Amino acid sequence: MATRLKFENSCEVGVFSKLTNAYCLVAIGGSENFYSAFEAELSDVIPVIRTSIGGTRIVGRLCIGNKNGLLLPHTTTDQELQHLKNSLPDQVRVQRIEEKLSALGNCIACNDHVALTHTDLDKETEEVVADVLGVEVFRQTVAGNILVGSYCAFSNKGGLVHPHTSVEDLDELSTLLQVPLVAGTVNRGSEVIAAGMTVNDWTAFCGADTTATELSVIENVFKLREAKPSAIVDEMRKSLFDS
Amino acid sequence: MPRRPRRHQRLKSWPITFSPFGRALARMGSVSKPKRHSESIENHTPSSSNGFVKHPLDEKPEGSESSDGEFDGVVQADFAFFDPKPNDFHGVKTLLQTYLDVEEWDLSGFVDLILEQTTVGTVVKVEDDEDEGIFALATALNLSRYREQKCIIQLKDLFLAKASQEKGVADQLRVLLGEQAHNVGLLVSQRVVNLPPQLLPPLYDSLFNEVSWATEDEPTEELRNSFRFKHYVMLSKIYKHKNPEQKRKRSDDSEEAIVYVKPEDEIFHKLSSWSFCFPLRTQQPAPHEMKNYRSMGLIMAVEADKIPTFRQELGSLINES
Repeated sequence: MATRLKFENSCEVGVFSKLTNAYCLVAIGGSENFYSAFEAELSDVIPVIRTSIGGTRIVGRLCIGNKNGLLLPHTTTDQELQHLKNSLPDQVRVQRIEEKLSALGNCIACNDHVALTHTDLDKETEEVVADVLGVEVFRQTVAGNILVGSYCAFSNKGGLVHPHTSVEDLDELSTLLQVPLVAGTVNRGSEVIAAGMTVNDWTAFCGADTTATELSVIENVFKLREAKPSAIVDEMRKSLFDS
Repeated sequence: MPRRPRRHQRLKSWPITFSPFGRALARMGSVSKPKRHSESIENHTPSSSNGFVKHPLDEKPEGSESSDGEFDGVVQADFAFFDPKPNDFHGVKTLLQTYLDVEEWDLSGFVDLILEQTTVGTVVKVEDDEDEGIFALATALNLSRYREQKCIIQLKDLFLAKASQEKGVADQLRVLLGEQAHNVGLLVSQRVVNLPPQLLPPLYDSLFNEVSWATEDEPTEELRNSFRFKHYVMLSKIYKHKNPEQKRKRSDDSEEAIVYVKPEDEIFHKLSSWSFCFPLRTQQPAPHEMKNYRSMGLIMAVEADKIPTFRQELGSLINES
């Protein structure tokens, strides 16, 4: 299910949070309503971690991660790095990388299997991304924008891209990512998809200005209506117990 | 995966603060002294739904920075005034983001209210700008007409909460927001930081003219009455000197006790029936000149009779600066 919320009057929830299938990072300094919205949906299933990155609150745009790992920019302080290593589950590899394009969340978009990156990303960074996040990396643009991390958001089930993406581009990206994609907007017509929302396989958080139409498009393409986190737990249970 | 040649044009949908024009304007604000007055206003008819006023401004900074590649020191800007439209939602919302400091309130609802009131309200944009960035906004909202709206209720509660420290003023505020609300207009005026001040007299002229035309042109008696304001209430931001006593010791002190972010606030403050300040929760890091000041919110009420005086004084203030 998709939830609408605000961070201190700003509807850009994808800027102040980063949601994956294994953890959720949330910026410090917002009101309690912001955390409670995340904790209400997620706290039984995955850890919700409050942090800053490089002393800033724009955690969603500076880091990139999935269930396998988390990549942080060089501006991350040692304390923040340690705090994250302590708070994240053990199977999540945390690494700080030296990359001139330090807003990793704006440059890279990924799910648990594939990543799209900025065309000018370092070769070294691309290798680290492939290694730490365990993904296949493609250099791409979205509707002519090189900041792929800002203009699209995708999970393992589906994806939402910039509204001006052409049909050919949609098909091409959909083939690369192996998920259904839809071109749309969030927050009442905002084209910066990933700033306005954050999503994983069973839930999404969108800015409060998101219209009902936009929300229903999101729930459809990310298949949020049937998705339940317990599905994941049930699967694990089946493999752990003989019956 | 080989890199594909870029087939499509780069879409420039950056927020207005990042546009080349916005940057140029920010640089102008620190160096330039405008040399030309704006053109005279065209007469526009009261019933026009899209009357706009053109103000070509030619600004030449005395010293342009050497680091500029594209910027040769002159920025031509044709500002135009428009009635609010639903499309302006994001631009107006950006301008009003810090209106109530960091309090969480129904900002989107407030913006919707402003955009729906097309008879009174002006937004300033640049002619033929694809970005449709909003540079300034001025409107007056009748507090009684919108008293059921969540955003107005929250706003009233917040004003009263801030006023609770000031005994004398709190009662007057309560009266204006409560019993007298049908005669009170909330004056909302926000703009980008370095907007050329020559735009202010026409902006306020158009606002107050629209208010008086609305008292004649609105379809229903109720609406006509709702624009017969007797008082205007407004919320602004000012900088107050941290040590006011220090000023008296130095005769050549160039530091004022209060620095007004918007120049017309000084005139409003002088003409106000009452006013009070309250500290703002966010304290942004101040530039060097402002290190002795702290930012405060200022709420004041001005009687509608004083508006002609205000318009005159604003004209002379802008013309002499």
